[in-house]
Amino acid sequence: MTDITVPQDLWDSEDEGVILTWVYQTGATVAKGALLAELMVEKAQLELVAPASGKLTILAPPDTIVRKGTVIGRID
Amino acid sequence: MAQPAPTGGSDRTLTMARAGREAVIAEMRKNPNIFVIGEDVAKLGGVFGTTVGMAEEFGAQRVIDTPISETGFIGIATGAAMAGMRPIIEIAFVDFIGVCFNQIFNFAAKTHYMSGGQFKMPLTMMIGYGGGYNDAAQHSQSLIGTLAHVPGIRIVTPADARDAKGLMHTCLRDDNLTIWMVHKRIWGLGWLGLPLKTALSVVPEEEYTIPFGQARIWREGKDVTLVGYGITTHHNLAAADKLAAEGISAEVLDLRSIVPLDRDAIMKSVSKTGRLVVVDEDYMNCGVTAEVLAVVAERNPKALQAPAVRIANPDVPIPFSRPMEDFALPDADKVVAAAKQTLKAS
Repeated sequence: MTDITVPQDLWDSEDEGVILTWVYQTGATVAKGALLAELMVEKAQLELVAPASGKLTILAPPDTIVRKGTVIGRID
Repeated sequence: MAQPAPTGGSDRTLTMARAGREAVIAEMRKNPNIFVIGEDVAKLGGVFGTTVGMAEEFGAQRVIDTPISETGFIGIATGAAMAGMRPIIEIAFVDFIGVCFNQIFNFAAKTHYMSGGQFKMPLTMMIGYGGGYNDAAQHSQSLIGTLAHVPGIRIVTPADARDAKGLMHTCLRDDNLTIWMVHKRIWGLGWLGLPLKTALSVVPEEEYTIPFGQARIWREGKDVTLVGYGITTHHNLAAADKLAAEGISAEVLDLRSIVPLDRDAIMKSVSKTGRLVVVDEDYMNCGVTAEVLAVVAERNPKALQAPAVRIANPDVPIPFSRPMEDFALPDADKVVAAAKQTLKAS
């Protein structure tokens, strides 16, 4: 199992972000490197890619406020 | 050349922004004659993120930043198209297209005709439009009726991600001046909040096209036809839900293509329902709503069992103030009221 964590280097500040969309539903099969979600920080739209291949579980739905390091999903 | 990102094989739900961009990148990978030119398209990746990553992949020869000089770069693109290139122009806000009408209306739209077909015009413009987010009178217009008035331009305006990709492929493969326009509030721009759910859709990995001039029925109904495009399709879907709760069955017809217009689809739906509401977030006067009503008036006015109703922006500059803008722009409640009006009148 691999946690999907908001990477520390996704943005520079310590500001909060928000999840805009998930590209896949829970249960989908994703490949390492695939675009998983779009996040919004200030006015910048950022991409989060799959850290591993496997079956996706979403823990933080769209509109969830997140920080760097927040676990937002899992890949089994 | 960069490879397409891995996916894993499950269905992907994309924003319209991402779906449109996917089509542009796919066509650029296949055809070296396609290039993108406009303000902030290279270094910034587009004011709305439409060209993110393209400069890195395709280089400065094919993704070209310009000064604020619409007449200049549309002229460059028009000439390049005549010489066999296939340019893509981005105009972030349609509001400022007036500064380059001469290049668009008199050159890009007419050169094929005036040269007796010696020159083709495989030029695509991608343009953002629309209001509803307090951006005031100079950043909230649609102006689709204005563009649709001039012959020689094909105009499409998708309402969800699947159509955004298919229509972009169609535009980029066409040998005529094409305009692909998306309402900013459904594009999937993060700074405008969470993407509208009905504008997100499952987008196939493979390439596909959607023909010009083909409307889409999002929801079938028998009591009243709700015609719209872009964001008003989503107002109409929300209105259809509310009407269904009151036992009224509304058909939601999305024009998708403004030029050419799917007149057969309009007439077919109105012949079935007998009632028509046309919804357009553009100015009322001489606009798309009038063109849709003209289809019925010319082909078979007797198909209408009640007077048709038009909902469009009143013919005033779009207000900045939130309550005043809400008052001016179409929304689902206005559509519900109009649909009921057509049912009472019969």
